[in-house]
Amino acid sequence: MTYVLNRLLSVILTLFLITLVTFAITNILPGDVAMMIMGTQSNPEALAGLRETLGLNDPMLVQYGRWVGGMLTGEWGDSLIFKKPIAELLSQKIVASSIIVVMSMAIALGAAVPLGVWAAVHRDKWQDSVSSTTALLGVSLPDFFWGIVMILVFAKWLGWFPSSGFVDPSENFLLAVQHAFLPSLALGLGLMAHLTRMTRSTMTGILGQEFIRVARAKGLSEGTVVWSYGLRNAIGPVITIAGLQIGYLFGSIIVMESLFNYTGMGWLTYQALLNRDMPLIQATVFVIAAVVMLTNLLVDLLYLAIDPRIRLG
Amino acid sequence: MKRFLSPKGLVGIILVTLIALVGILAPLLIPPEAATAMDMTARLAPPSANHLLGTDQLGRDILIRVLLGSRLSLEIAVTAVMISIVIGLPLGMVSGYFGGRIDNVLMRLVDTLLAFPALLLALTISAVLGPNLQNTIIAIGVAFTPYLARIVRGEALRVAQMPYVEAARAAGTTDLFILSRHVLPNILPAIIVQATISLAFAILAEAGLSFLGLGTQPPAASWGLMIQASRDYLERAPWTALAPGAAVALTVLGLNMFGDVLRDILDPRSK
Amino acid sequence: MKRRDFLQTSTALIGGGIFMGGASLPSLLMAQDTPVSGGTLIWGHSETTQNLDMHQTGTASSGRVLQNIHSSIVTVDANLNVIPGLAESFEVSPDGLTYTFKLRPNVKFHNGATMTSADVKYSFERCKDPATGAVNFEVFNNVASIDTPDDLTVIINMSAVNAPFLSRLAENGAGVVMPVDSGPTQGTNPMGAGPFKFVRYEVGTVVEMARFDDYWDGPAYLDGVLAREITEPTTRLTGLQTGELHMINDIPLDRVEELKGDAALQIKTWFPLNFDFINMNHTYEPFQDKRVRIAFDMIIDKEALMQGALWGQGATSASPSFPTSAAYNKSLVQRAQDIEGAKALLAEAGYPEGSLNIVFKATTNYPYHIETAQILVEWFRMAGVNLTIEQLTWADWLSQCWVDKDYQMTMMNFFSLWESDFLYFSVWNSTGAFNYRAINDPVIDELTAKARITVDDAERAAIYQQVQQQIWDESHDIILWFRNGTIGAQPKVMGLDTVVHPNGSNLNFHKVWLSA
Repeated sequence: MTYVLNRLLSVILTLFLITLVTFAITNILPGDVAMMIMGTQSNPEALAGLRETLGLNDPMLVQYGRWVGGMLTGEWGDSLIFKKPIAELLSQKIVASSIIVVMSMAIALGAAVPLGVWAAVHRDKWQDSVSSTTALLGVSLPDFFWGIVMILVFAKWLGWFPSSGFVDPSENFLLAVQHAFLPSLALGLGLMAHLTRMTRSTMTGILGQEFIRVARAKGLSEGTVVWSYGLRNAIGPVITIAGLQIGYLFGSIIVMESLFNYTGMGWLTYQALLNRDMPLIQATVFVIAAVVMLTNLLVDLLYLAIDPRIRLG
Repeated sequence: MKRFLSPKGLVGIILVTLIALVGILAPLLIPPEAATAMDMTARLAPPSANHLLGTDQLGRDILIRVLLGSRLSLEIAVTAVMISIVIGLPLGMVSGYFGGRIDNVLMRLVDTLLAFPALLLALTISAVLGPNLQNTIIAIGVAFTPYLARIVRGEALRVAQMPYVEAARAAGTTDLFILSRHVLPNILPAIIVQATISLAFAILAEAGLSFLGLGTQPPAASWGLMIQASRDYLERAPWTALAPGAAVALTVLGLNMFGDVLRDILDPRSK
Repeated sequence: MKRRDFLQTSTALIGGGIFMGGASLPSLLMAQDTPVSGGTLIWGHSETTQNLDMHQTGTASSGRVLQNIHSSIVTVDANLNVIPGLAESFEVSPDGLTYTFKLRPNVKFHNGATMTSADVKYSFERCKDPATGAVNFEVFNNVASIDTPDDLTVIINMSAVNAPFLSRLAENGAGVVMPVDSGPTQGTNPMGAGPFKFVRYEVGTVVEMARFDDYWDGPAYLDGVLAREITEPTTRLTGLQTGELHMINDIPLDRVEELKGDAALQIKTWFPLNFDFINMNHTYEPFQDKRVRIAFDMIIDKEALMQGALWGQGATSASPSFPTSAAYNKSLVQRAQDIEGAKALLAEAGYPEGSLNIVFKATTNYPYHIETAQILVEWFRMAGVNLTIEQLTWADWLSQCWVDKDYQMTMMNFFSLWESDFLYFSVWNSTGAFNYRAINDPVIDELTAKARITVDDAERAAIYQQVQQQIWDESHDIILWFRNGTIGAQPKVMGLDTVVHPNGSNLNFHKVWLSA
């Protein structure tokens, strides 16, 4: 229990540090909000005036306090380019991105688990090499490259999926899934390699354990031993590892969503960065970091539930 | 030794050696201007006797660019990984070896940075520093640092608890001596393995940054930039993506396989 | 190439349209079909709409969309002559100080109100008010008062002559008429008297418009227009080819010729869309020397550069005036490439080979700028100048080059500057709003000021030709070319030749229809 408590305390501390880092990063970015608001009409006097009204001339600490205070009280402010409350934007875009995150994870696990198990069963044989090489192929090219290939093959030539855009799942669920499929597939390919490797090593360890030998001795079929006894024990660690990939995914969606014009968190973050929409950059970067950290926490706690021996801080 | 000779391992070693050779030799044999020499009469030309792998949108020879690009791409990857080692190694070692409050503080910091996806971090750093070659390298290096620090710290923690280290400590040996004589050699294998894999990721990261316009700047011939530029011509002239794509894929594949082999040799625990 | 394009264009112009080739089979076959109403056109728009307030927006992308929502008091024909718009007639007093507009009766706004002279007065005064932040505020600088003797008459009294006044009103940014007191909501809910009503806008994603049944020039055929913003050129083209989009603007330049042969698509190109020029920062020491600027001009082979960067989709020009404009100085010829001559001139100016290291900032917003820069690097290397490229996002380009003037060399394009005063005063006058190169040339300042008070059109055109000569003589900027506009559409999209506004940039969907 102390571990859980400590872990929660450290989460709060890390969240605080995340706000500091986010604020620091966004404040050293070149260009500022006032510039973006005025665009080609900018002139020094007008800029100075606007900076004053926006409070950009206040001391850093005051600005930081105002920002964190606003976040705590639910006042996330408005995006400058979208001219909408940031909280509202984020809640929409997070839904869009979670579709992609969940789908790509499902695709990656769906491919990685069988491949990894297959490799573990035939360890050091040709099947092992085939499995790991197949998995590595996915990660051996930049994921945007796969994205472009997907657009060409599945959208253009075969016409099975739309080439770009986002559809709200509450409007049309099937269409929403169709739009999310290609970016998810491209992302899933990149995730697959790592997960295959983890499945293989976990399975290898488990297949060498006593209870498997006992099961085999009992005369259970090899299929039952591997897929039922073995996998049941391996799935926990594998899902844990998968959870830790959320951070990687949230980085990759920046490129992938932009490529597919899929308007989720990644797209929003990139738009914010492109347009130097500081309040929005701060919010998206903070939310992504917080989501990643909370997922890691969940994974840790899950791991703890599975294997209470772990007590590392 | 058996695993060393596994076909996969062999392929990995051959690939890495080959790519390193190309990276070293190509710039010695081909003049650098050849990478940007344009032939406007042969734009997006398919592979032919004149241009074995075809030309790009400005009529530049893709084979020459891929060969010369190997130097640039490897340079970026190696330097970026070096940066992450230079910062991450001492950080992780100190944290893992001393433990306690130092460890707490440093690891909170590392955890914080880990919460920011590497690409997002690199993207922001690149935007702050402005787009050019050095800044791309710095951005990737810094973004990778927390990952390396985490791994080093774990290893250092393990070594610090070994009986001989504790014995040395009890005998009054200085921390600096223990760190350099006992801890470092023992964690080196894990770092080498991690560095090899990181090289592969650095090459991909450079491509990702170039895709968003924040990586290597044209007309330089880096593989990432070449792939980025090819995306608009992929359908009409697939060879513009094929050669740099294959170069990246083979390098990343080779480095990963090589890393696996290294791990099996250097770090037998993981078997 | 250049001559051929000009010939094609001018003959097409005489023919009444600005159709330049690419009339693929379907549109010709079905041209005689009678238009039908209905359907929503899905348009893949190449750029992100920025500010929706017609007065405040300065970007071509927003103007392209808002063209369908607003109407102006006057407009222009294909030859850039001012013709009636919301005013059915207009009159200028001989002294050039009084403008009288007779408004069309029964023009409806989207809110159902009928347009009166009060709306015109409100709109013009809003544009003039510095607090509005209108791009075109200076158009009204000399306006002393606006009288509205009755509902359909507007009299504008000037304190001093402003010769270009009427033509400046032909652009929506200045001449737009909005309902009284609609200003505060124009940015979020633009409303005017155009053929389409604004429905919704999601930044960076989509603008939706619906037909306005009471449009003064008769209702549009389309039920609505859905402008999806897709900035990736290849994604946009793929969307058209897969049928997800009905129409796209800005086809990847290298694909234009190939796609013209594709029977499954209609490809329309026109000339010109915008001009491009290379900018040298006049506050940067080497560029304060005219010889360096001229030498840089001599390093560049404009025709080869145009073929290289635009794949031939444009025509080189030494003048930034619209080729159809009376002010276009036909006697100007671009400097030919002369690398040796350039080297000698640079050495004379004190910059021998290898002594100049220049950073060229190019924005990724226009991919062909990046190609241009890469070609330049080669030529400059031959001339002993080391050019390095820095790619900037649009936001960074605006902040670094446009506002802070923190650059050495860059390039930019301007859309829809067909009106000479807007063009030359804004871009080259030392006090001009678009003078981000910090050019300070007393000759140009004097000429552009003089043009403003020269009422005679021919005389005024002659002055602008002098301005062009001066820009060329001093090599203040290196004028490159006019780029072609391109549209790709499904065969079922009809009336494509009515889409492009004479300013070359705006798209108008009033007469577009979808065949069954």
